[in-house]
Amino acid sequence: MTLRLGRHTFDDDATLMMAIVNRTPDSFYDQGATWAEDKAFERVALVVGQGAEIVDIGGIKAAPGVEISEAEERSRVVDLVARVRAAYPSLVISVDTWRASVGAAVCAAGADLLNDAWGGADPELVDAAAEGGAAIVCTHTGGVTPRTRPYRIEYDDVVAAAIADTTAYASRALDAGVPRESIVIDPAHDFGKNTFHSLELTHRLGEMVDTGWPVLVSLSNKDFVGETLDLPVGSRLVGTLAATAVCALAGARIYRVHEVVETRQTVDMVSSIAGRRPPCRAIRGLQ
Amino acid sequence: MTRVVLVPGTLALLPEYAGLEDPVADLRAACLEAAAWLGRSITVLADEQGVRIAEYLLDRTDHMHEEESYLVVGNGSACRTEKAPGHLDERSHAFDEALGASLRGGRPEVDADLARQLWASVGAIAQLRDLGELGPAQVAYDDDPFGVQYWVMRWES
Repeated sequence: MTLRLGRHTFDDDATLMMAIVNRTPDSFYDQGATWAEDKAFERVALVVGQGAEIVDIGGIKAAPGVEISEAEERSRVVDLVARVRAAYPSLVISVDTWRASVGAAVCAAGADLLNDAWGGADPELVDAAAEGGAAIVCTHTGGVTPRTRPYRIEYDDVVAAAIADTTAYASRALDAGVPRESIVIDPAHDFGKNTFHSLELTHRLGEMVDTGWPVLVSLSNKDFVGETLDLPVGSRLVGTLAATAVCALAGARIYRVHEVVETRQTVDMVSSIAGRRPPCRAIRGLQ
Repeated sequence: MTRVVLVPGTLALLPEYAGLEDPVADLRAACLEAAAWLGRSITVLADEQGVRIAEYLLDRTDHMHEEESYLVVGNGSACRTEKAPGHLDERSHAFDEALGASLRGGRPEVDADLARQLWASVGAIAQLRDLGELGPAQVAYDDDPFGVQYWVMRWES
């Protein structure tokens, strides 16, 4: 399906790198490295240079912690969105938020995409996307409260649950007025899931692709990779790329990542193996 | 009048082997320009793979002239460098120089046995002699970008 992310459209077979930009002092991977707005802006410049099509700006870490008010969240992300919009007109700007008020504010500042990692916890977020002309990411969390860790959650079939919840969320977005080509679904690895759930979702990602909605995967350095390989944060790139390859073969469209270059190479290689992308330059044996 | 064009049997010219970047863009342009110069009635002299190259070129070119025409697919040695498909064979340069000179003069002289040793595709080139005196060639391409000697030449006689 052709993707329309706010001001930008992409071909049917395009795969997109969504680079994570944290305006937080405490996110698990970078531990506040881009907390200062100038540092976050430098991170945007870096990932744009690396070829990222999308930046995903977040003002609140996913894990439990100090409560961040709506006003504080807006103050962390809105000005940065406006600054990035002015500097990079052709870049897709996503904001990682579950709050409708924040969604409306960032859309007014130039955001193209609202990445709701918490599965529609705020039912008015779809209205903010529709009114702001933005696309939306519909995730599956199993209904958990934002910023909580999974605790003894079980599913009869986690893939069926992810499909049911994300497509229902997509329908709500559609009903709210978000265009069909601007709705993306995300199984949300680790969110409301144990490691076995995330592995199962990775193995069966093709079933989500078969729904016809474009699929986003957010795999980067997550705990399911760490638990699977018994590796801490900082040593999970190879495992992340292995999971990325499986999702790419299944046909995922958007990859939310810390490491843009490595992920782009992985996705391009798999896309060529799958016959969706020609090799860059082929001459071996063809001279 | 008869028009004759020689192009190499480079498989990278075929659309089924296209990448995001074209490694033979200059060669392709020269081949297409030469093929477009041929008349409507065209005889292809080529082996099985060469026929596919010829069909590709002829499908993508218009032929406005009436002259009887021949499209010949062949090339020199594939042993011209260490990285060449057939690795380096020191004899390849002299072989190609002699073959190239005879082609330029319009009377190709082919040492079929040596050609086989040097991975040169000369079967169709040898058939050129059957067309009689071709006269001097116009050379549009003469290079070995991948250790394989390519020529794009045309003759009018």
